[in-house]
Amino acid sequence: MRILTLASRNVRRNWHRSLVTMLAMAFACLIMIFFASLMEGMIQGSERSVVSMNMGDIQIHAHGYRDDPDLYTRIDNDTALVAAIEREGFRAAGRIYGYGLLAAKMASSGVHLRGIDLKQEVKVTELHRHVGSGQWLDESESKGVVLGKKLAGTLGVELGDELVFVGQSSDGYMANELFRVRGVLKSVSDGIDRMGMFMPMQTLRNLLVIPEGVHEIVIIRPDRTTDLSAETARVEALAEGLEVKNWKQLMPVIARMIETADVQIMIMLVIFYIAVATVVLNAMLMNVFERIHEFGIMKALGVSPWQLVALVFAETFILTLLASIVGLAGGWWVSDYYRIHGIDLSSMAESIAYGGIAFDPLWYAAITTEALVYPVLFLFIIAAVAVIYPAVKAAMLRPVKAIYFR
Amino acid sequence: MRVLICLLLLLSALPADADEPKVIKERTSYILNMVDDLWRGESSFAVVTMRVKTEHYTRTMRMEGWSKGKEKTLFRVLEPLREKGTMTLKSENHIYTYLPKTDRTIRLTSGMMMGSWMGSHLTNDDLVKEARLEEDYDALISFEGERDGRNIIEFTLTPKPDAPVVWGKLQLIIMAESYTPLLEYYYDEDMELARTFTFSGMKMLGGMERPAVLRVIPADKPDEYTEFIYEQLELDIPVSDEMFSISSLKRR
Repeated sequence: MRILTLASRNVRRNWHRSLVTMLAMAFACLIMIFFASLMEGMIQGSERSVVSMNMGDIQIHAHGYRDDPDLYTRIDNDTALVAAIEREGFRAAGRIYGYGLLAAKMASSGVHLRGIDLKQEVKVTELHRHVGSGQWLDESESKGVVLGKKLAGTLGVELGDELVFVGQSSDGYMANELFRVRGVLKSVSDGIDRMGMFMPMQTLRNLLVIPEGVHEIVIIRPDRTTDLSAETARVEALAEGLEVKNWKQLMPVIARMIETADVQIMIMLVIFYIAVATVVLNAMLMNVFERIHEFGIMKALGVSPWQLVALVFAETFILTLLASIVGLAGGWWVSDYYRIHGIDLSSMAESIAYGGIAFDPLWYAAITTEALVYPVLFLFIIAAVAVIYPAVKAAMLRPVKAIYFR
Repeated sequence: MRVLICLLLLLSALPADADEPKVIKERTSYILNMVDDLWRGESSFAVVTMRVKTEHYTRTMRMEGWSKGKEKTLFRVLEPLREKGTMTLKSENHIYTYLPKTDRTIRLTSGMMMGSWMGSHLTNDDLVKEARLEEDYDALISFEGERDGRNIIEFTLTPKPDAPVVWGKLQLIIMAESYTPLLEYYYDEDMELARTFTFSGMKMLGGMERPAVLRVIPADKPDEYTEFIYEQLELDIPVSDEMFSISSLKRR
């Protein structure tokens, strides 16, 4: 008995019913894929907001700098260290910091200066892509600075406006200079929004008389799937006598939030899968119970119980296969659309901040192999489990009873 | 009836009791005012050298300053050349800085008040609060008599409950005879010593013997200090209000 032939004929013969069952399964599959990509996207998005935006994966400071960030606590051999770290396959950039007062017209505000190694920084963080208005820094305009969003608001400045900076340089003299607003960032983190002032590294070196050394080296792993602690240890081996910390150690609150989000997502996925399972189960049950009369006749014609079970399974397999192809294609397509366009949450909140980090109000989906494969696998398993009971029931039927089963 | 008499007696007794502290209070504030007026009459003009020594740099600045009343002060840097013409104006509770390099005047915000003034160990807040001991603190004589072979009076100043000050308490030690200040201790809010002011170098200034050298030593960095050395001091000279306006900063 050619089970598959028979099964496919059965599927075609009852195409209406098959279609409804398949659509239910395909839709479930699509939703599962979309949901999984959204959740994955949320995790990746929050990690990106934290790490790629500004923090980097790993940061190096001189000991004591993080507790008391003073101008003199510097990493001296920074050029050599950055080169050594890059040879290890990481990407790294040095930064220098300073404090002072920034005034515009009659408003003024304390600022936190950052001198940026323009060539290196673009390889490490995404700050340069996060400019809300104007442009990112450029070596050609050494006095053009980029401000944090709230700082620009506090000072009431627009692009091209003049800024006066007053501070104290490392040799004890007054540091004083005129700058021009070249760009204003979107929301990054509380500190940067309120006080961030960015300029090319050399400009800040001249301003505060810091001829050499950096205060911070930011490192990013090219491969985000590697083990962070192991990578941190590798960097530690290179940076002797310096403090090396990864972003999870620097921001334990945020790290924990993202980790617990992982668990929350698992729980949500399980609940979601159970809901999907009931839909599939229902469709398969109906599919079989509707045909008990038909099965009775088949048994009366001498089809053995095992053959009957095999037949039901084969039909289910065909249905699931078709449904999963449709569901996979649909889910992939929907997820891909949102991977590119994202869901805009900014209507609900201006910017979503947690623990001082601003999260991107655009929620992008992220397509991973897991997000595509698991829902399909799950669909097959659910269908197989769902059909066990009705198939066995059909196999056990006494033909006469089944024929009269109405 | 008896109750009434008792009450009356009590009431009449009250002012008599209150007289004693009042006398002390008056004496305290009298002495404090004397100390306050050492470098500042109704108006003053001074030439001061400021030396700042820190772990990372040592720098010397010469500046001239004018004051009028308690609220108005103007400093102008004479040396070094690099900073010549930099001015600090204190008027009411605001501090303005004029910077010749960029030809701009900046008003310091409250956020900058704890920042260092001109790289010294004094904060901008010190400049604003310098003459307000009486307004912000309750003073009391905590010790009088011989200490280290000198006859001294020690005042303890505690901030008034709602005073906008950053210190937990101040201790001022002066010579009992001449009311010349010797030492001033600043304690932070945890009552830990934060910094010490020492007064020395008695010389004729503005027609009387005054300490010409004031040194500020931060408690957490005993090797660092800021020193103010008075070269010249003239008190109660005519100074026009015009001088302490923002517009005058630019005109000079």
